[in-house]
Amino acid sequence: MTEQMGFLFNAERCVGCKSCEMACKNENSTPANVNWRRVSSQGTGNNLSISCNHCESPECFRVCPQRAYVKRRDGIVMININRCDGCMTCVSACPYKAPQFDLEKQKASKCTFCLPRREAGLQPACVSACHTGALSVINTDQPPKNTVPTIEGFPDIRLTKPSIRFRPVKEKLRYWIK
Amino acid sequence: MTSDVKVYRNVCPRNCYNTCAMLSHVVNGKLLKVEGDPSHGYSQGRLCAKGYAYTSYVYSSERLRYPLKQYPRGSGNWVRITWEEALNLISAKLLDLNHRYGSNRSLAYNKCSGNVGILHYATEGMFNSFGSHTKLRGNPCMSAGMDAVTYSSGGGKSPDPEAMSNSKLIVIWGANPAWTAIHQLKFINQARDKGAVLVVIDPVYTATAATADYYIQIRPGTDGLLALGIAKVLVEGGRYDSSFVEEHVVGWDSFESYLTEKVSLEEVQSITGVAKNVVELLADLYFRNDPAASWCGFGLQRYQNGGQNVRAIYALSALTGNVGKAGGDFYYFHPATDFFPLNLLNYQGPNDGQVTRTIDINYFPSQALSLVDPPVKFLWIAGRNPLSQDQEVQDWTKLLKELEMVVTVDLFMTKTAEVSDIVLPATSQFEDLDINVSYWHHWAALNQKAIEPYYETKSDLEIAQQLTRKLNELQPGFSNFPSERSAEEWVESEFTPEILELYGLSSWRELEKAPAKLRIGNKPWLDFKTDTGKFEIFSKDAKEDRLPALPRFWAGSSDPSFPLRLLTPQNITGIHSQNWLLEWIGPDERRNDVTMNPFDAVLRKVQDGDEVRIYNAQGSVTRKARLNQEVLPGIVIIYQGGKEPVNSLLSGLSADMGKKYSGSEGAALYNAFVEVEKIVRSQI
Repeated sequence: MTEQMGFLFNAERCVGCKSCEMACKNENSTPANVNWRRVSSQGTGNNLSISCNHCESPECFRVCPQRAYVKRRDGIVMININRCDGCMTCVSACPYKAPQFDLEKQKASKCTFCLPRREAGLQPACVSACHTGALSVINTDQPPKNTVPTIEGFPDIRLTKPSIRFRPVKEKLRYWIK
Repeated sequence: MTSDVKVYRNVCPRNCYNTCAMLSHVVNGKLLKVEGDPSHGYSQGRLCAKGYAYTSYVYSSERLRYPLKQYPRGSGNWVRITWEEALNLISAKLLDLNHRYGSNRSLAYNKCSGNVGILHYATEGMFNSFGSHTKLRGNPCMSAGMDAVTYSSGGGKSPDPEAMSNSKLIVIWGANPAWTAIHQLKFINQARDKGAVLVVIDPVYTATAATADYYIQIRPGTDGLLALGIAKVLVEGGRYDSSFVEEHVVGWDSFESYLTEKVSLEEVQSITGVAKNVVELLADLYFRNDPAASWCGFGLQRYQNGGQNVRAIYALSALTGNVGKAGGDFYYFHPATDFFPLNLLNYQGPNDGQVTRTIDINYFPSQALSLVDPPVKFLWIAGRNPLSQDQEVQDWTKLLKELEMVVTVDLFMTKTAEVSDIVLPATSQFEDLDINVSYWHHWAALNQKAIEPYYETKSDLEIAQQLTRKLNELQPGFSNFPSERSAEEWVESEFTPEILELYGLSSWRELEKAPAKLRIGNKPWLDFKTDTGKFEIFSKDAKEDRLPALPRFWAGSSDPSFPLRLLTPQNITGIHSQNWLLEWIGPDERRNDVTMNPFDAVLRKVQDGDEVRIYNAQGSVTRKARLNQEVLPGIVIIYQGGKEPVNSLLSGLSADMGKKYSGSEGAALYNAFVEVEKIVRSQI
């Protein structure tokens, strides 16, 4: 049975509250300059929450000279910190800025899909923290209905085949003062 | 490793709607992470971004560790002192002033919502224990709206916000829960998943507005008139709840004739900016969707007509038959703290035969300066940062010159701490025991001591205990503060049989297992606490207080020499001037910006990214201009706090109401007008 764990991002529901971003830091004790998940404003009230997309063809995996990256059976891409020599090749290669450079440790680090939480039967911290249901976990081999492979503002997906699906923003009624 | 983890219950005590219960993970005495408490039915195991960043707050490199003294005041020549020295210095001054003036009335405090835990009223309790002194009255935040609610329904009930999940229509009038009450979106989205419609009416295109099905932009401070316009459309079309009105409303006839004769939709359109067909659309939404919840934010009552804005929206909720209806109803503020005895706040000091006097929190420095016999000479500040947040900045400077000693209790070196003589380091909520309730949801939760106090920090209660003990050593009988009474005993004393009954508890210790919810629940209610026992659209009490008896619209003053209205809403990265989130989230550009419409910018030859001066008769600040089409022409937005806070531009005007609830009018913080000019660097 093939499996590819991934995220579903419902852009319609995300309000950019950054709870996911901070819950990730709280859970994983990442230092100040390392944010494995980041929320950004896409203008006119649209937001994007992005972490490692545990790609089908992970560029980090391909470019790492130390072969520090592994892709697990469940599709999760992990970095073996012991192998990382801090060359930053992955940091510049990833279209999603998923590997982040830890200045203290002089190594790259990234989203682990909260593996210890998953082993305890919990959702990743970012998903647990989401107030609006904008983030959830899916098996991208069987993408849910009415989801699309990319949305505006998301980097080009052709290179790495990221394990993420989207629900796009719907049209809404706006009455501006003229 | 996990076996060493101890988990404690804590509560976020910030001045925020959500008052979330947290589980704190502690290993070897160190707070490693925080989680939402899943047994808290409102926050349901989640926290906001600020909540998740609490370990960075507790262990911030900026956090104060020891008592500090500076001389001269404001010089930055800080010297670390011991608690013994700090208490001796403060006591010596208190006794000196007591002897000089024959009373403690030259002693004043300024304390508010830095930590809203019930035991943080220790500061007020400590001052009470000195006998007569100079007290604080009023409320800088929500009192105008509270009075509006009281005139209409006698205070009554604040509905359970979890019930919004059963609404068919949710109309948010000027609140931005995406940034200030994120948990509420869960209940709102539950309703939307069942087909409910979300409408946001706001001058600012907020993150909440962006997620709404309908966003209606409105001119600031005109919400009341829009509500009256919607009411007019409904009443003239016979589309209101006549049986509710007949049974439960006082003053319908005069309100009806006011709507039909005095309110014109043309005027509604020209003043609010909301087109007539949109007013009709809103009327239609209110008519077609039952139940309909209306949520009135705090911003729209921070105007000279703020109370009337709230009364008009509440009246609209009543005439559509939504008041008291589960899933409908009117949301504003849930005064849960007032249910408790608040034994520290109400602590009975000795009767020294003199009268305690009060200062309005919104006019603190000017009123403090005006007091004589004796003048105010000593100021104690806790849980507040008035130099970043208050009006009358110039008067603060004058007052500071007159004060012989200023003591500030805080976790950080705030703008206010910077101009104090002595700064006492305070504990965070993880370091002391407390009880917290919310001004929004219906839960009470226990805040346990999870870790030892950071370095030499102390809680407001511990400081009160130690200072009063020291004073009594030096002058027996100076204070009657029960300094031996422990935090647990103070908590115990709050849980009277009535309170235990209200929350369905047999002892407060049950809160060690899980938070508890008020048992009033989400039942429909119509027992209005007004004199008439009805919903008073025509309020005799308001008339007696020289306010309009009906919810009428009045535009408030403007200032032609400063044509841009200044709005200073909450930022996502902080609560007022508290902003620990920045350590994790990185620099927040918004804090250095003034956002304005490109049209206003062109008139002033300002381009995006220009450094500009924003000024009026009260003061001036510099910011980077950000041009945004979504900002209404004629308004500029600056967020609170930071190094050069925006409070120097506040007008010092009052809202129309607030006296009934808080003892003085609310602050018309949004009746501030400014001009913007580009800063031209002189060529070298």
